[in-house]
Amino acid sequence: MADGPASPAGGSHESGEQSPRSNVREQDRYLPIANISRIMKKALPANGKIAKDAKETVQECVSEFISFITSEASDKCQREKRKTINGDDLLWAMATLGFEDYIDPLKVYLARYREMEGDTKGSVKGGDGSGRREAVSGQAGQNSQAQHLMLPMQGTE
Amino acid sequence: MRQAGTYSGILSGGISGRTGPHSLPLARIKKIMKKSGDDVKMISGEAPIVFSKACELFIEELTVRSWLVTLKGKRRTLHKEDVAAAIISTDIFDFLVSLVSNSNGGYEAPDINGEEMVVENR
Repeated sequence: MADGPASPAGGSHESGEQSPRSNVREQDRYLPIANISRIMKKALPANGKIAKDAKETVQECVSEFISFITSEASDKCQREKRKTINGDDLLWAMATLGFEDYIDPLKVYLARYREMEGDTKGSVKGGDGSGRREAVSGQAGQNSQAQHLMLPMQGTE
Repeated sequence: MRQAGTYSGILSGGISGRTGPHSLPLARIKKIMKKSGDDVKMISGEAPIVFSKACELFIEELTVRSWLVTLKGKRRTLHKEDVAAAIISTDIFDFLVSLVSNSNGGYEAPDINGEEMVVENR
């Protein structure tokens, strides 16, 4: 059932397939499946397993998500006669398209990033919540954002 | 010899240093952004960074919702069909419906009455 002729990715998600159509360059269209898989596993309990077809579907969905948000942000830039899509345009697009829950965590993440860029690279300040571990799913609190930046491993649970 | 310093070790999220502190590769994100439309020409440096986190949140949400479908079926392995069902029953994932229904005969909508299938999944 999964291998219908309409399959957009031609069935091969791994790079290095011998398919003559690898010219289409999977690696330009999708994020690496290993990264996707890691983030998915983190969201599941330890006894949860993920089928390959589920990973590939999520992989396609993520690219679609990026395009969906980017298009909306791009339209806004055109309306406002600006040429460059910036972070705030994306936040606005996400809020517009129903992903307002992502905004706060993203703002925290961005603030952390700016702070880090401002500092010398090696010395990131511990600050608030650096040692806490919280569930990442659901209404992802602000501490979990700090966690992603401060803790060494994301796949320990 | 160069050793992995504090920066790459602590901030790389456990994978190779390629992605820096972000869990998804920024260059790839940028490529996908550029493919979104002909009007997308210039992208600020922060935009892929925003996406690296946003995609993570998106993947987590999609996975958790899919997993709930898996559990409902008393299974322990998350399958593509679970992802499809989660997408169909979640409003903000509407933009993905065609993606999961195209490649999955089970959810193929007829020419008319496309909305009917949403009801079945509740």
